[in-house]
Amino acid sequence: MLRRTRTTKTLAKRMDLQYFSKPHPFRRWRLWLSVAVPVVALVWIVFSQRATGEKVYSSGPLASSHAVFGKKCEVCHESKLGFFSKQVSDKKCLACHDAPAHHEEKASFTPQCGACHVEHKGSLRLAATLDAGCTQCHAALGAHSRGATQFVKDINGFDDHHPEFAALRPGVSDPGKVKLNHYKHLVPNLAGPHGPVQLDCHDCHRPAGMEGAWPYASAQLKTVSAEMDNTVKSAPSRAYMAPIRYPEQCEGCHVKDLQFDKRFDEAVPHDRPDIVQAFLYRKYNEYFSTHPNALSEPIAPERMVPGKFNPPPPVPHNRQEWIALQVELSDRILWGKGCKLCHTMIPADDPQQLPTVAKSNIPVRWLPHAEFDHDAHRLLKCDSCHAKSRNSQDTAEVLVPGIKSCRACHQERGPQRDAANGQCSECHQYHDWSKEKPVKGMYSITQLRGRGKSGF
Amino acid sequence: MRIDHTHRKWFIGSVIALAVALVVYIPYSRSSPQGATGGSVLGLTYGSLGSAFMLFAGLLGLRKKFPIWRVGRAQAWMRGHLWLGFLAFPIILFHAGFHFGGALTSTLMWLFLVVFVSGIFGAALQHYMPRIATEQIPMETIYEQIDRVRGQLLEEAAKLVEEAASSLAGNVETATELQRAASASAGTMGGLTVASGLQMDEEAAVELRGFFTREIQPFLEHAGSRGPALGDRNRAQGMFRQLRVLLPANVHSTVDDLENVCEEKRQLDQQSRYHKVLHGWLLVHIPLSYVVLLLGAVHAVFALRY
Amino acid sequence: MSPDGTAGKPVPQIQLTIDGVAVSVPQGTTIFDAARLNGIPIPTLCHQQNENPVGVCRVCVVEAGPKFAASCIRQAEPGMVVKTNTDQVQGVRRTLVELLMSDHPSPCARQQHSGDCELERMAEQAGVQHPRFPQKVTPRGKDESSIAIAVDHEACILCERCIRGCDDIRHNWVLARRGKGYQAGIAFDNNLPMGSSSCVSCGECMVSCPTGALTNRAVVGTKLTGQAVAPEALLGLPIFKNVSGTFLELNSHAVVERRFRAGEIICREGDFGATAFYIVEGKVDVYLSSPIAHVKTQDSGQGFLSKLKSLLAPRAHDRRHEEVDRPYIPIDASVDLPYDNPIAELGPGELFGEMTCMSYYPRSATVRAKTDCTMLEMLRNVLDIMQRNKTFREQLERTYKKRALDSHLRSVPVLASLTPEFIDHLRERVELVRFNPGQVICRQGEPGDSFYLVRLGFVKVSEHRPGGDMVLAYLARGGYFGEIALLGGIARIATCTALDHVEVVRIPGEDFQLMLDKFPAIRQKLEAAAAERIAANRQRAVQVANVPVEQFLNQGLMEAQSLLILDLERCTRCDQCVRACADAHDGVSRLIREGLRFDKYLVATSCRQCRDPLCMVGCPVGSIRRRNSLEVIIEDWCIGCGQCANNCPYGNINMHPFPVEQDDPSYPGRRIASVKVKATSCDLCLDHEEPSCVYACPHDAAHRVNPPEFFAGLLKQRSSGMKG
Repeated sequence: MLRRTRTTKTLAKRMDLQYFSKPHPFRRWRLWLSVAVPVVALVWIVFSQRATGEKVYSSGPLASSHAVFGKKCEVCHESKLGFFSKQVSDKKCLACHDAPAHHEEKASFTPQCGACHVEHKGSLRLAATLDAGCTQCHAALGAHSRGATQFVKDINGFDDHHPEFAALRPGVSDPGKVKLNHYKHLVPNLAGPHGPVQLDCHDCHRPAGMEGAWPYASAQLKTVSAEMDNTVKSAPSRAYMAPIRYPEQCEGCHVKDLQFDKRFDEAVPHDRPDIVQAFLYRKYNEYFSTHPNALSEPIAPERMVPGKFNPPPPVPHNRQEWIALQVELSDRILWGKGCKLCHTMIPADDPQQLPTVAKSNIPVRWLPHAEFDHDAHRLLKCDSCHAKSRNSQDTAEVLVPGIKSCRACHQERGPQRDAANGQCSECHQYHDWSKEKPVKGMYSITQLRGRGKSGF
Repeated sequence: MRIDHTHRKWFIGSVIALAVALVVYIPYSRSSPQGATGGSVLGLTYGSLGSAFMLFAGLLGLRKKFPIWRVGRAQAWMRGHLWLGFLAFPIILFHAGFHFGGALTSTLMWLFLVVFVSGIFGAALQHYMPRIATEQIPMETIYEQIDRVRGQLLEEAAKLVEEAASSLAGNVETATELQRAASASAGTMGGLTVASGLQMDEEAAVELRGFFTREIQPFLEHAGSRGPALGDRNRAQGMFRQLRVLLPANVHSTVDDLENVCEEKRQLDQQSRYHKVLHGWLLVHIPLSYVVLLLGAVHAVFALRY
Repeated sequence: MSPDGTAGKPVPQIQLTIDGVAVSVPQGTTIFDAARLNGIPIPTLCHQQNENPVGVCRVCVVEAGPKFAASCIRQAEPGMVVKTNTDQVQGVRRTLVELLMSDHPSPCARQQHSGDCELERMAEQAGVQHPRFPQKVTPRGKDESSIAIAVDHEACILCERCIRGCDDIRHNWVLARRGKGYQAGIAFDNNLPMGSSSCVSCGECMVSCPTGALTNRAVVGTKLTGQAVAPEALLGLPIFKNVSGTFLELNSHAVVERRFRAGEIICREGDFGATAFYIVEGKVDVYLSSPIAHVKTQDSGQGFLSKLKSLLAPRAHDRRHEEVDRPYIPIDASVDLPYDNPIAELGPGELFGEMTCMSYYPRSATVRAKTDCTMLEMLRNVLDIMQRNKTFREQLERTYKKRALDSHLRSVPVLASLTPEFIDHLRERVELVRFNPGQVICRQGEPGDSFYLVRLGFVKVSEHRPGGDMVLAYLARGGYFGEIALLGGIARIATCTALDHVEVVRIPGEDFQLMLDKFPAIRQKLEAAAAERIAANRQRAVQVANVPVEQFLNQGLMEAQSLLILDLERCTRCDQCVRACADAHDGVSRLIREGLRFDKYLVATSCRQCRDPLCMVGCPVGSIRRRNSLEVIIEDWCIGCGQCANNCPYGNINMHPFPVEQDDPSYPGRRIASVKVKATSCDLCLDHEEPSCVYACPHDAAHRVNPPEFFAGLLKQRSSGMKG
């Protein structure tokens, strides 16, 4: 039988009435730690400030490009009252970087560098600015631009109101004046330089930066004059396709179109008509000299001269007349057939004058405001984007893929959505680099790295 | 604090607040040119809101120092502490745009994470532990007074043993007279019978005292019940059962009392352990929260300097 | 039969023979007297020479002529031959004694005490201590209600000596015969217990009694220091007028004379004692040396922090002042002490320490001799004798009416507005009435005829209900009762019982009505208070009826009006409640976070505001009391006697030392720091809306609840569970 009893009174009487005011290990620990740990924290912060400058207050790691002066806050931050200012002025940025103004001079304001290029966010590409930097104006361009603008006024992003590329808008056609039928070039058994061939895209189109011989180039080619090379200059990168140039992509097959006379196994140079004319004179002169009985040779009766009217050829009476006749005949063949196969020949007002060749005008960049990198897309089949190319028979047809095919992969916040990036900065650039001016360096290594290991 | 239906308002309020914060945050973080940063207007708003919540949560400590201040019921403060403290973390994350930043800010973030997690851990403990402790320790007392109560238990046990042992000794004396009387009247047989009974009582007294000094005393003298055999409930039961066999029935109630005393001591040990768990997390939570407030202030000063 | 009528005339002598001796006595003389006058002793029990004979015991039997006659009552006749000592007479006498002995517990109290029980001595002489007849002592009971005299009805031989002493000698007319057969006996007044009767404790009956039926009750265990006083000297005092000298002699050890020089402390508050003091000459000061400050009140400090603290912990108002506070502190004397200056003066003829003496309460105040003075210090039996003395009572009543009625009436908040004229009117009308422990002052259901104010002692107010009585209140000095019946003209709604030696001031119904008519404000207040009381009682009755489970009662929870409970499933044992309590009360916690459990709740050790507040019984200064809303609070004039702490069954009252500044007794005018113990108990933080412990609980675990309400659901569930 249990005799112990618990009553409220006996239980209460066991207690020390003042126990709560006496220290107890548990509470003492709590107090101690509450004092000691903050003190430790203070000591830490003071020490780390003394050891590393104000780096301890840095709001995050620097981008990799700037990491080199991570210990030298003053490279970017101005010092005020002995402490570094949080804001970085454009002046500091522009000391190292030239940043030409926006392509559009109509922009109503020029933001600070730091507004778009946010530092202390780790090893991000500083140039990869967020869309918001663009859309803050372009989402309501009307309000932000001075005067009227040709651009779409409410672009919120690549997925949102980004217009179709200008080249593909209705009424726009390929400005190129070289008649090219992609379809015909891709049919089997084309007559190649050494027999029938099957062409592929890569035979004519490949990144400019890629080295190696073109399969259908001709080695025995004469240099072309600078005037003939009317293509847009581009950096020898792999981003853009090499421009189409006769000696590199055409000549292998098309050199026979420049043959003017069976008596010669050469073709005329692929050059301006006057040069061709001079070439012909020279050639016939040489021929007349080496062939004394040239006058008696038939005047290439088998050469069918194009044209509805085919009057009987005049009979040359002397060397001059012969040469003139021969040149005229060759001219007719070339202007009327050989050159005309590809080029648009503009006849001169005076029939005695030579015709001129329309500028070929083949665009190398179709999207003038955007950057595109073919090399980055090299894993794709050409016709998965340039879908119409294979069957295109009209030179004027624009074969650049539409924005739709870009969007198949590129989306806003692409990486988060398992898609390719669709940020504005992916294609567009804020700065107009064409106006970039050179920057003069102003730091020494010591200034950036300090002396010795510790940085002091 | 037990989180039950009385928290519904706080819960709904917190969810709404969090949702609002989130709803504001998403377009803000997407639309701001450089993403969410602490320095933007909204980031500062988040920052000051979060630090206000943290400060409020921290003020609970002050509130507890002055329990009679009529500045709102302590339980309202506690609820505020729980829920605003809970909200503070996501809001600070919004403030930081989910970046941990540099040395100071990432230290702050990590510490805050520890404080936050320890707080949630503590809240869970406070939700579940009291019920368990209540069920398992019916004889619990005031934690700070466990040592004192233990001392009193020892005294009580010593007194019980002394009383019982001396009553056994008393039996011896009275029985000696009986023995004499019996020997005189009933002959040696009776005398022998009484004498053997006597022997047993003397042994019982020795046994009881021995048990006390051997087992009970060391058990009651020291906090914690890992060492002595009595610390284990089952073993203790066995030991007391044995003791009852050895002792005459008239002291069995004393044995019951002793067993009860030991049971109480065991429960006090258990309470001591429970208390350390139930309040131990505070040793992390409180000091670190002071650090967070301190470094947070430093951060605020340096971030807002110009 | 009375010789008085014949006193004038010369009485003729008659001659007769007694035991062969011729004697001459005046006519009308009894045989007993005749023998006595002539030196012939006749044994007797019921007769005493100073009393009229009644002839009930017949032990004085003689052979008078051919017949036996009781000599005490039989008149002598001329020529009568009386034989007092024949074998026959002796045999008859022996048989009579033997018969009396067979109905007498032997040895009786007197025999045990002093060996002078007349019956037993007689039986011894006659050799019949062990009567042949079966000892058939029928239980007639004892009466120990009187302080000075013990009554053992079983030892009574119905000799009526006491009755004659009381009626014929002292003319008090208290004693009489009662009952018949074996149940016959003596009775006080209308068969009341002696202590409750109108007995004046003159001691005559006890002095008269031949056996142990009426004996002196000596107070044992208390030795009085001081100069013993001769009974004659006492008899010389008016307050002992008409008291039997023998009785005083018997009690002489219980009264001493003490002399004090001016400035000497006679008794200190909080001391325990057993004596009362009667001031023979000189004056004394009665005062409270405990500094009066609310035990709970904190000093507002000087520093900024404490100012801030007081700003944050505002004490909007002490809600105690909502009730009109009693301006007087009741003490154990004929006067009350004014609250703002607790000091009073007593002069010759006044008495103090009655409650200490009668009911062993601690001293309620400190008494210091103001002038050189002489006192009688007495134990309770002498005090009782004195108090029952008509002269003293008259004096007491006179003094009371003159000096104390005023303050006493005014100490009752509702009566505070009485005009002096009306009090003068009342002076002549009021009456002081004494009641003994257990005596009913007024009974539920009786018509109400008076209004009562408690002057001394404690009155229990209880209501009879089916299933048992319920204590509604304990009234101490300053309490009043009886107004509801008078206000409503209805029967008494509760029974009022004296818990100890109670003295009440009775105001007759008609005067009460007059007062109500004259002072409508008082009527209003009384009506309001009465309505409150009735409502509270009714509400409690409902609660009581609603709680079915007995188990609940085991912890006394039913008794509680308000419990501090901690929900153990929420409580994290953080001790904030205790700290809050300590903060609210000068660093002293009135709450111990320990106790028994009920269900999942810890019933913390903190005042429960019991319905039956045992703590309040015995407070010598009435500092523990109930507010109108029935909370128990301890007022600041607590003297630290610890009575309430002992009384509380739940350990909810604790004695705490408080540092105080006091007058230095050895260097008047200088203050010294000392420690004063005071009782503390939960005051529900009256200054605030909510008790601090509850307010400060961060976990919503602490609650102050009304147990029957709070546990109602639980209890119902349990009881139905048990039924199922």
